[in-house]
Amino acid sequence: MMAILRDQQQRVDRALLAPVPWLLFVWGVAWLVGYLLLWSAWPAGNPWFQIPVLAAGAGFGVLMAASIATSAVMGMRINRGVTGVSDFAGTVYGLSWSVCGFAFFALGSGLAANGASPELLSIYFPSAFGLMAGTLYLAGAALWRDRGQLVLGIVMLAVSSVAPFAGQPGNNLVMALAGGGALLAGAAAMWVRRGRSHA
Amino acid sequence: MPDVDPVILDPVIHAAARLRITATLASIPVGDRIVFPRLQELLDMTAGNLSTHLRKLEDAKYVTVTKSHQGRSPVTYLELSTRGRRAFEDYTDALRALLGEHS
Repeated sequence: MMAILRDQQQRVDRALLAPVPWLLFVWGVAWLVGYLLLWSAWPAGNPWFQIPVLAAGAGFGVLMAASIATSAVMGMRINRGVTGVSDFAGTVYGLSWSVCGFAFFALGSGLAANGASPELLSIYFPSAFGLMAGTLYLAGAALWRDRGQLVLGIVMLAVSSVAPFAGQPGNNLVMALAGGGALLAGAAAMWVRRGRSHA
Repeated sequence: MPDVDPVILDPVIHAAARLRITATLASIPVGDRIVFPRLQELLDMTAGNLSTHLRKLEDAKYVTVTKSHQGRSPVTYLELSTRGRRAFEDYTDALRALLGEHS
């Protein structure tokens, strides 16, 4: 009976957590490619090739929008069929991403309106969104008692707060490799762990 | 030693299918309800089999069934009652005690 009980609990955990490594993977790719694009848009950035600023910005925007859409769909699928008191927490958390994203964007625009240079803004924006993502992952960790999100949030906060010291445009490279790398490593770790529990 | 008699296992829960159903419902946070098809998916049981066992759990007042409508189609929501959650905890405690595990 104990085996049946544990089996079923593991099965439910797996069903509910299955999309999480995919989420990390999608965000990892978006950060890695997106920030490499931004880094490649600056003359002092990528030593191998340079791409137009507009193309890099557009590519970054598309990657971020696609990741936000993907995580919204995955988030809804995790909790499908379950309603009740947790609806409020889930809705607030989902809205937090757009509301905080807009707030950080508005602050950046305010800095620009007050004379912040493009170089300074290209330090502000990557770190601002990294800090936002890190903070929201911490909230997610608290809401769903999820250690994976806790680790991820701390990594995001650390990378985003250290990146500006690499100077500009090196900060984008730090975000791409350390931030994107951490997300991909998190996804890989979850897949490896799941593979082991299957065996 | 725990104060429960380890030999007495709740007969309502002590059946493989109902133990699995109860364990699944217990994993859903208090105050949340799950729709029948999603529960069926998590358990991989036939609708008829699941209904039969749910009725036994409902008769024991372990499971609360709420029926409502989404547009024209009826929706059945299920949740563990306070009594059911307590019974599940007592059952797992008793099972652990029986197996000589410390809870």
